[in-house]
Amino acid sequence: MFRPYRRASQFAVFLLMFGIPLLNLWEIYAITGTFYAINIGGLGIADPSAILQSMFAAGQFAPPILFSVFFPVLFAFLFGRVWCGWMCPYHVISDGVAWARGKVRGMIGGSSEPETWVFLDPFKANVTRYSFLLLGTAAAGIMGIPVLNYVNAPGILSAEAMILVRNLTISIEMGFIAIVLLVELLFLPRFWCRLFCPTGAVVSLFRAPFTLRVVSASNKPGSPCCKEEQCSAACPMGLAPYREGGNLLCTNCARCIDACRGEKGAGLLGFRGFQD
Amino acid sequence: MIDEFIGFFRRVFAHGENPFSRDYIHNRMRPPGAAPEQSFMALCIRCNRCLEVCPFGSITRAGLGPTIGTPYVLAERKACYLCMACTRLCPTNALESSLRNPEQARMGKAVINTSICYSHLFADRDALPRDAGARIGALCNTCYNVCPLQDKAIMLQGNLFPIVLDECVGCGICVERCPTRPKRAINVVPTGMGRPDESGFYFRKARKHFDVSRKTVAGDQSGVLKGDDLMDAKERIDGSGGAPKFTFPYEVDKGLKDWE
Ligand code: SF4
Ligand code: SF4
Ligand code: SF4
Ligand code: SF4
Ligand code: SF4
Repeated sequence: MFRPYRRASQFAVFLLMFGIPLLNLWEIYAITGTFYAINIGGLGIADPSAILQSMFAAGQFAPPILFSVFFPVLFAFLFGRVWCGWMCPYHVISDGVAWARGKVRGMIGGSSEPETWVFLDPFKANVTRYSFLLLGTAAAGIMGIPVLNYVNAPGILSAEAMILVRNLTISIEMGFIAIVLLVELLFLPRFWCRLFCPTGAVVSLFRAPFTLRVVSASNKPGSPCCKEEQCSAACPMGLAPYREGGNLLCTNCARCIDACRGEKGAGLLGFRGFQD
Repeated sequence: MIDEFIGFFRRVFAHGENPFSRDYIHNRMRPPGAAPEQSFMALCIRCNRCLEVCPFGSITRAGLGPTIGTPYVLAERKACYLCMACTRLCPTNALESSLRNPEQARMGKAVINTSICYSHLFADRDALPRDAGARIGALCNTCYNVCPLQDKAIMLQGNLFPIVLDECVGCGICVERCPTRPKRAINVVPTGMGRPDESGFYFRKARKHFDVSRKTVAGDQSGVLKGDDLMDAKERIDGSGGAPKFTFPYEVDKGLKDWE
């Protein structure tokens, strides 16, 4: 079971968001910053999508700035989009919203219906979010403002958390988060992470043959290994994990692995290289 | 409406101006070491690390508008105390990270409005504003006393009233402490914001040179200045005062017109 570990990681990062400014209030500066850009013991780490925006907007190319995306990119090459599945503070709220939506649907009797993943298949979802990223980056270049940072969900959340800790207020940008969450609750579950988020789109890009991914031990590649397909029902990104573990959308959250009952009660899904 | 639209496009295309980064207000500066406004708006990723680390709580996050999320120092609320903690943390060099010397910060420049400054009023006109007596002595000079670059950025003219010098870094401490209300008698003009009192200075000076030369050459021959006399006359020409009619694309504080 990966779930307890994933939750622990998500909540740890969520609390860190409040912990960093608190430490700084107590004048401990070992770790500073927000999830746009963070500094751990002198090592700068920045959100690659924010840096991309800033580079395009300013039209300059500064090596020290590029260095700050080295670790996120390396991390993505090794473990895939785990930032999204295991850490992002927006994602954990979105998990809560999806859970609440499930409850509400259960109460009004629509629980047997599958979720509305049909809205866009994974290919179209990828096309949507990369178009959004490209358009946003082009707009940043033209306008000279890193515009996509205005809709950087994890960044906004952590900046707001910091302001909440420091000044006991929140600012107008929280409204953006509220609107997105409301849409997820009422109409399109998970739409932000699937269809738009620039951070998610950029960190998904770095994939190599050796990147961690979900694979099925079934000998029927491409078709469901069992009748229930619990894995597809569990996937928050709307993938069919037994064949799409390598899709750019996959966050390696391991929900599918936890859900898989397999053919004879033994799970067939696992992370490549870590199967039993 | 249509004029504004045309003006907007002209500024963008003919003058290459970035319409999203020409938003200046008095007493609202970028933190020290900030890149010129246009590059700053491009570089700053709104991470707010500068805000987080400022031990004085000087930096605020801009609200709704194109600058949303970017850092500002609002001098009337809380000035920058030039500790230079924020500059070294900026991940994108929107704040020059190598800047350590506060004297090299260029956040803006303070300007004294002599028509409401207590010290100037007292020194110039022997007058004490009606409401001032209870709060201050006749010679206030608070700005001089609080300035971290005392005698470099601001000095006392004849030990009586303050004047701001070129070394002023625009930290805004003087603004924060200046006792006049509702308007402060000293205000910081942020870097990048034009100043009506400086605009056209050289143009006006050249113009007066021309006028003096013309008058002395073409006019009454007996009064013609030549050689050293002409040079003396020219050297005494002062281009200040009488600002030409320019329109400024930002809010102009009328009180600043005849500073100094
Ligand atoms: S897609 Fe964006 S909002 Fe969603 S989990 Fe990833 S970084 Fe967070
Ligand atoms: S630290 Fe730099 S990039 Fe971050 S908000 Fe401040 S000025 Fe902008
Ligand atoms: S120099 Fe120090 S006081 Fe001034 S804005 Fe930066 S951190 Fe705050
Ligand atoms: S603090 Fe204000 S009123 Fe006092 S001398 Fe300075 S400018 Fe004048
Ligand atoms: S005069 Fe001194 S206190 Fe005022 S803004 Fe300039 S440097 Fe700061």
